[in-house]
Amino acid sequence: MKTPKQSIRIYLTVGAVVLGSFGTVAIFARAPFTDAQLAEQKQELLEVVNKGRDLWHGSNPSMSTNGLACGNCHPDAAASNPQTFPKWVPQLNAVAPMREMINWCIVHPQNGTALDVSGPDMVALEAYAAYLYRGEKIEPGYTVPTPPIPVKSGVGYPWKPSGVGVDK
Amino acid sequence: MSESKDLSRRHFLGLAGQAGVASFAARAIGFNLGLVELIHAEPTKTAVTPFSFAIITDSHLFSIPNHKFDRALEDAVAQVNALTPAPDFVVYTGDIAQNGREDQLVKGQKILANLKMPLKVIPGEHDWYLDMGKTWNGMFGKETWSFDHKGVHLIGLNSILVKDFWTGSGMTPLQRMSTMEMLESPIAGPWGVREAQLEFLRKDVAKLSPSTAVVIFTHSPLWDYYPRWNFQTQDAPEIREILGKFDHVVSLHGHVHQTIYNKFGNFSSAGALSTSWPWPYPPVALDYPGSQMNQSDPANTKDGMGTQHVSLGASGGVVTYDPFANSLTPWLKDGVKV
Repeated sequence: MKTPKQSIRIYLTVGAVVLGSFGTVAIFARAPFTDAQLAEQKQELLEVVNKGRDLWHGSNPSMSTNGLACGNCHPDAAASNPQTFPKWVPQLNAVAPMREMINWCIVHPQNGTALDVSGPDMVALEAYAAYLYRGEKIEPGYTVPTPPIPVKSGVGYPWKPSGVGVDK
Repeated sequence: MSESKDLSRRHFLGLAGQAGVASFAARAIGFNLGLVELIHAEPTKTAVTPFSFAIITDSHLFSIPNHKFDRALEDAVAQVNALTPAPDFVVYTGDIAQNGREDQLVKGQKILANLKMPLKVIPGEHDWYLDMGKTWNGMFGKETWSFDHKGVHLIGLNSILVKDFWTGSGMTPLQRMSTMEMLESPIAGPWGVREAQLEFLRKDVAKLSPSTAVVIFTHSPLWDYYPRWNFQTQDAPEIREILGKFDHVVSLHGHVHQTIYNKFGNFSSAGALSTSWPWPYPPVALDYPGSQMNQSDPANTKDGMGTQHVSLGASGGVVTYDPFANSLTPWLKDGVKV
């Protein structure tokens, strides 16, 4: 037989737990990602990065009419400096994000058709350059020529040959 | 040039032969080493008569008609033809073509035929890997050569040879070519000149005296600049060792599409401006950072490209870069002593 005091304590405890869990729900909208989920997300990103690498080396013919691809002037994404955008871009006469610079290169040196600035190909190109430059300090507007990032081996990330650079 | 080359080479070989006999005779009758050396060296001691030559490189011609790179090579030829004094000859240090196709090589040869002076050519990887140099050899002859000119011994080697990565993986010639076209390809592996050319080099310089001025041309640099982009030649240490006996060797190369200078021991090395596009400087600290040109302006289609000429005399050589647009630093404007 519970005494009234004991009953009140039980009600209070249950109440606290219930309130506590509401509070938790309010602060954390979901449980933290599991390692498996994080690995999956990373894989999704790397697939886009890999697509970006292929595009960087000419997998979308609409980006060029003269045979040139981003990789001709920017091996290993060298001198693309994604960490410096947005910045003043003299060619555009404006402060612009990297994707606008990418489109400038597609239209001018490559004499191709500009990509949809928020389309999947543009995201992939940005992802490729950004992934190679991961860890670099973000310095918008930094315009002094910066050395490319050293890529030690392979393509700079886990990679399965896609065919680009092997067959055209 | 070939006549004078043959003449001077025959003349040289004759003298070298006499020197060998004299040296042998001197040894046999017990002359001291100093005298032997003197006798041995005397006939081959070659004074350099000042002259200049030009370098055009890395035009990367596409098959597309009227491509901007066709015009760039035409500009290069016009620029070299207009040099005063006129260079004695021109050396093309590789990558006439972009995809190794015959039509691209033919287009390049046609444009280069407008040069007023003789032309020597070595191959780049873009010229080579579609048919392993068959078309290139048919058009430009042997890729390994040497000749003497006005007291200087000049050598050209093919430095873009890689280990076979295509047979095992069953690649087609086009796949092999495409793999080689990507500068940062993780598949192709390091380039080199390989043993047959090292042997050529050993024999070629065996009888030259250490005082002979030597100039060697390769597509890739003969030092470990940035191996990931094949800004290197795998057997460069052997080449430098073979040429180690000379007082001074000048190494001139293409491939890097940029001004670059380095020096170690008796070796001075300079890279050449391309006519197609400039590569960024790789992420390595340079001993001579002043040899970097200014970052090119992508909005100026001529910036960062050009030709160069090399003046050689008794006191050494000077590489003068002749950019299509003004992208040189003051250090470069004065010319680079090599």
